[in-house]
Amino acid sequence: MNAGTALHEARLLGCESCGLVSTELPVDEPNLVQQCPRCGHALLATKPFAVQRTWACVVAAAVLYVPANALPVMVTTSALQHGEHTLLGGIHELWLDGSWGLSIIVFIASIAVPVLKIAVLGLLAWTVRYAPQWRRLERARLYRLVETVGHWSMLDVYVVVLLAATVRFGPIASVSAGLGLLSFAAVVVLTMLATWSFDPRMIWRDAPADGRDA
Amino acid sequence: MARVEGSLIVCEECGLAHRWQPLGHGAVARCTRCDAVMARSHRLSIDAILALTVAAAAAYLVAINAPLLTLTLRGPTESASLIEAIATAWTDGEPLVAVVSAITALIAPAAFVALRLYVLFPLSAGIKPPGFAWCVRALHQASRWNMVEVFTIGVLLSLVRLAGLADASPGPGLFALGALTVLFASIESAGLKHLWWHVQ
Repeated sequence: MNAGTALHEARLLGCESCGLVSTELPVDEPNLVQQCPRCGHALLATKPFAVQRTWACVVAAAVLYVPANALPVMVTTSALQHGEHTLLGGIHELWLDGSWGLSIIVFIASIAVPVLKIAVLGLLAWTVRYAPQWRRLERARLYRLVETVGHWSMLDVYVVVLLAATVRFGPIASVSAGLGLLSFAAVVVLTMLATWSFDPRMIWRDAPADGRDA
Repeated sequence: MARVEGSLIVCEECGLAHRWQPLGHGAVARCTRCDAVMARSHRLSIDAILALTVAAAAAYLVAINAPLLTLTLRGPTESASLIEAIATAWTDGEPLVAVVSAITALIAPAAFVALRLYVLFPLSAGIKPPGFAWCVRALHQASRWNMVEVFTIGVLLSLVRLAGLADASPGPGLFALGALTVLFASIESAGLKHLWWHVQ
C-alpha cells in the first residue's frame, strides 16, 4: 500500500531522527549544516564523503578478509592433539561430522554474508559515480539486503568467544581464539561501517519521481 | 525556519517526499519510487512499549549474569555467562574481540533498554525528559549496534558444537536471551520517530 502521492516541488529533507520534513535552505556557508527545527539533528541531502568513506571501509575489509581466512580463528588443545581451525576448515569439519544444516548456516554467516557485503558495497559505490542510472531499483534492493543481513556475520565471532569461555579444562581440553578471529571481527565491523557510510539516496540522484529514467 | 507544515513524509532511502495519509491497521507505507518501507502502523501505546521495556530490562539482567551453557567433562564442570565469556576473551589476550563483543552484545542492548526507560517513564506521564532529542538519536545508534539476536543463535550453535565433545546443557541465561530477542523485536516494531508525536 502506498502512503500517498509523491510530491514534485522544492527539495524537501526528512529528519533521520524524528521524521520531520523541512525544505532545504540555500547554502550561504559551506561549513554550515542545516539542523532539524524540532530535534536539532543535522539535515543533509547526502551524507558527507559517502562514496569515499564506503570505499575506504570496503577496501580495508577486503584486505583483512585474507588473513581472516588464512589464519586460524580457533585453536583447540586436547590430551591427544593440538588443532588450528580456519573459518573454512571449521565449516568443512562440521560437514564431515554430518552436521550439514549447521555447516550451511555457518557458511552463510561467515563466508557468504561478508563476501556479499564487500562485493555489493563496492558495486554500489562504483555505480554511483560511473553508472548512475543503471538498475536503480535493483541497486536499492541490494543495499537493503546488505543492511538486513549485515549483523549475522558476527555469528562465528560469538561462537569462538563462547567456546573459549566454556571449554576450559586445561590440558585435557581447551579452546582459545586465533589471530584470524581478530581479522574477521574487524572485517565484520568494517563492512557494517561501510554500509552506514553509504547513502542510498545517491542511487536516486537526479532520478524522476516515478523512478523511470528517460 | 525551514519547517514544512502539514503532513509530509520523506523516504529515508531515496529522499522522495510523499503526502502522508494515516495508515490503516496493519498497513505499511512504502515509497512509490524505491519501494522502501517508510512507516508501519503499530498498535503499541507508550504504556505498552514501557511495559515491554521493563520486561526487557529484567530479561537483560538475567541474560548477562546467568550461565548461558554448562559443560561437564568426566567430572569437572565449566559454565559461562555473557559477562564471563567477554571477560575471558579480554583476559585471554583477545581485547579487540572482547570490545567488539561487549559493544554489540552488552553495551548496545543496555543502552537500548536504559535510554528507553529514561524516555518512556516521563512520556507516559506527559512530560518531555531533558535531553530527549539526544536520547532518541542515541537509541537509533543502540539499535544499529545491538546484536542480541545473533548472540542468541551463537549460544545455540556453540551448544550443538559442544554436544559432540562433552555433556553440554543450556543454562537459564540462554532462555533469558531468547526472551530478550523477542522483546527487542516487538519494541523495535514501534520504531522511534513516533516518540516525537507525544511531546508536542
